[in-house]
Amino acid sequence: MTVPDGLTTRDGVDGDLVLECGAVVVGSGAGGATVAAELAEAGVDVIVLEEGGYHPTESFTAGTGAALRTLYRDGGGGMAIGRPSVLYAEGRCVGGSTVVNGGMSWRTPARVLQRWAERDGLPGIGERDLDPYFAAIESRLSVSEQDPETIGRDSELFRDAARARGWAVVPNRRNQLHCAGTSNCSSGCPTGAKQSMLVTSVPRALAAGARLFADVRVDRVIRNRAGAAGVTGHVVRPGGRRGPALTVRARAVIVAGGAIQTPALLARSGLRPACGQLGRNLSVHPNAVVTAFFDEEVTGWQGVHQAFQVREFTGEGLLLTATNLTPSMLAGILPAYGAELGALMADYNRIVTAGPLVSDTGTGRIRYLPGLGPQVFYQLTERDAARVVRGVELTAQALFTAGARRVLLPFEGAPVVRDPGELGRLLARPVPRRALQLFSIHLMGTARMSADPRRGVTGSFGEFHGVPGLFVADASLFPGPIGINPMETVIALAMRNARRLLDRRASYGI
Amino acid sequence: MAGPSSAPTPPGEAAAEVPSRPAARRFAEIVCPPEVRADGRDERLLREFGLMLGSLPPAARKALAMALAAVDQGARLYPPSRGRRFTRLDEQTATAYVRALLARPDPAAELVRRLKSVLVMCYYELPEVQREIGYDPEPYIAAVSRRRLERHGLEIRAAGHDGS
Repeated sequence: MTVPDGLTTRDGVDGDLVLECGAVVVGSGAGGATVAAELAEAGVDVIVLEEGGYHPTESFTAGTGAALRTLYRDGGGGMAIGRPSVLYAEGRCVGGSTVVNGGMSWRTPARVLQRWAERDGLPGIGERDLDPYFAAIESRLSVSEQDPETIGRDSELFRDAARARGWAVVPNRRNQLHCAGTSNCSSGCPTGAKQSMLVTSVPRALAAGARLFADVRVDRVIRNRAGAAGVTGHVVRPGGRRGPALTVRARAVIVAGGAIQTPALLARSGLRPACGQLGRNLSVHPNAVVTAFFDEEVTGWQGVHQAFQVREFTGEGLLLTATNLTPSMLAGILPAYGAELGALMADYNRIVTAGPLVSDTGTGRIRYLPGLGPQVFYQLTERDAARVVRGVELTAQALFTAGARRVLLPFEGAPVVRDPGELGRLLARPVPRRALQLFSIHLMGTARMSADPRRGVTGSFGEFHGVPGLFVADASLFPGPIGINPMETVIALAMRNARRLLDRRASYGI
Repeated sequence: MAGPSSAPTPPGEAAAEVPSRPAARRFAEIVCPPEVRADGRDERLLREFGLMLGSLPPAARKALAMALAAVDQGARLYPPSRGRRFTRLDEQTATAYVRALLARPDPAAELVRRLKSVLVMCYYELPEVQREIGYDPEPYIAAVSRRRLERHGLEIRAAGHDGS
């Protein structure tokens, strides 16, 4: 395995470095890699700094533990503190979370864009405005439905049950070039079929002359009187040890570290926007997992997971889908231990896991605490808790329709449920909010855009209010939750905002 | 100075020392299926646990270490233990103690539940355990990867991917 031209890992840096460029991009995920490719192809001298390592396709295996340690921040074990707490995961590698996500590629719903335009005065963000970006993304990333032979039995069971109940179901759209159906999305696609940033925009940016430094953590954004002036950081050695220092002087700084790391970096750089909203307004799209046991062998790990989405309840802010979990991930969430856990896991190949994703109304907050790093706080609202319970109930009903013999609900202390009648009786009683077991991989909104500096951290095109030349290019920008997988929206906004920057490049001197 | 890198970043395999190792082993024996005691699986589980700890930020590592120490010493306050620490409890008492801990609604119990999650995750990462429950993904991945190239190789190569 070799490293592409233009990419430097920690092995390639043996002393302090001071570099200069037109634009420095912090992060190489959906937003960062897209901006880097757009700017580099327009002739801008670009440096990308990525805190995670460079792990090529050939290095990906089915080992969940190894993937969590290698491709995720903090072993994938982030926790938003609240009642209940919400577990979350962030990618940390070249390509960012696009390397470990499911690859779902959906356009931003028109009603969401309309809300953003009206409430936050964002120009050029309507459905028609973004259509050309979406079309370009979908062409470039080969966004399409799955080839039928790659779809897992768990997805088929869930789809058939939803249809039998008369619910609207759509095939999922993914950024994939003939996905093989390895069901290894969250550990890195071992065939390279998933068109993550690792195999698309990062190589594009490098081919256009961008330089990428992996294993580099950015500590601060540097400013001068004119605005953003670069960043300082350091190489991350094995075990997280601090390596040589690195300074990049640049005329434009684009921060794309995701909705937790971006506000943390801006806060520790001393940036305090007038609106007071930096790090606030965190949405997480909480989701929960229902575990169902079938008589038949399902072997859900054979074939792609989440091949379909139930769209019947989007008006209630709910999406339902079947998501296969590896044995270790499933064991980690099952409410059992000892021999009982062993008995449940012995049926691993007869299990289907599925659940709701909730478009949340509550918000959380990121606080950067010296010595502890970013700490995430999130409070689920009563309304959202009720929607989680409703989504769990609908999911369990569908699983019974599919033939499940018993289901485990994601509520602390809930008994095994053996039929829809039991389910109804159980859920007739209120489920305490603190008993919900919730997860998130969609983190959004902590540096939201608004034309009004009293409302937004960033302006209409992602530029930090009051700091010329400093931009945000990730899901932090979202003025609110979008109710659907966010990757394509992140990429579209990154393209839109990068092109705006290019239109005005002379004023930034890049 | 920056020179060309010859190799990708190695995988994250920096292990951390497992804190309160006897307590960690005993806790794993209770929360994992009984087969954890067979064929040195507990040792391999603890190695996996050390690797997992190595990937956590220092604050989380400390919190889990504190949870283990609290589980061990907290047993002294559990009436049926008669003042003994967790590692000294017989099977029945240790199991009842863990059950009581996991059922508590307070935030400290949440940390213990997290510890339990991490340990059982590590157990189900062991390849022999995965094979026992019928999960053996590598041959499957190899087969469907071949199928992909057989069916779509021309298109994949035309798009500039070698399919590897």
